Amino acid sequence: MKTIVITGSRKGIGKALAEHYLKDGWRVAGCSRDDASIEHSHYFHFSLDVSDEDAVIAMAHKIKTDFGRVNALLNNAGIASMNHALLTPAKTVNQILQTNVVGTFIFCREMAKLMRSTDNARIVNFTTIAHPLNLEGEAIYAASKAAVESLTRILSRELAALKITVNAVGPTPIDTDLIRGVPEDKMKALLSRQSIQRMGKVTDVINAIDFYLSEKSDFITGQVLYLGGVS
Amino acid sequence: MSEKKVIEALIIDLVKLLAEDFQIDSLINPDATTLLYGIDGPLDSMALVNLIADIEDAISEKFSVSISLADEKAMSAHHSPYRSVTSLADAVLERMPS
Repeated sequence: MKTIVITGSRKGIGKALAEHYLKDGWRVAGCSRDDASIEHSHYFHFSLDVSDEDAVIAMAHKIKTDFGRVNALLNNAGIASMNHALLTPAKTVNQILQTNVVGTFIFCREMAKLMRSTDNARIVNFTTIAHPLNLEGEAIYAASKAAVESLTRILSRELAALKITVNAVGPTPIDTDLIRGVPEDKMKALLSRQSIQRMGKVTDVINAIDFYLSEKSDFITGQVLYLGGVS
Repeated sequence: MSEKKVIEALIIDLVKLLAEDFQIDSLINPDATTLLYGIDGPLDSMALVNLIADIEDAISEKFSVSISLADEKAMSAHHSPYRSVTSLADAVLERMPS
């Protein structure tokens, strides 16, 4: 049985991804700060902060002991803060960078070690269309995801020798907790900048990730795929 | 056998396997003094990455503890802990719970 690690699997896109891959026959190791929201015989939850290095190392150790290796990693966990730059405290900046950048990096590093003996290992990181669209009010969120994109491209080179592909997917707004609270007029203005002007669906994200995870995608690495026709 | 000797022996076995995988002739018969990385060390960065991960795995399996050899202490050390078999063994010992 193949093992996939999904961060931020308690709710939203992460939970939907976990349920999708469980249904698809994968063993899923998920994590979030809180307790599990999924009950399944092949789902294993770790309650941790993704930027807590010791906790992630311990999670990797447990996965190695129990399952031997990891076939895929989805770095879905992320936090956003929609606020004008002049109203954004440094504490918020640090929190976003810790979760979105440091957390993504630590998971890539630790899980890549468990992917060394597998064929067709895959890492998929999460970015956002807020970065290419240079969305006002999302300076730190977009900047953190720009870092994730750079990390993705460089790791794709560093991990190629280990036969691990590293790619990223950039969803449009999807109706999850992450965007709840964004005013309707702002959301309309954002959607108008997409080629296909609708809210994204979780199935759109799953489709892109299925593509990256496919064995046939072993020649695709270092790529960033934005949904909705954003470039 | 002292704990350090046990760990050196474990590292030597892993270096031999790595030498075969990466076809590094100078590491086919390593001993505790064998240089690995840095000046006069034959490992490139990718081979070092593999060795470090192999050592962390082996320590985890043998002693049921998880250690990270690529930590801040290693990065800021005056002498790299990766330079030889014996320095790696010291680095492992330093990171093992007492």
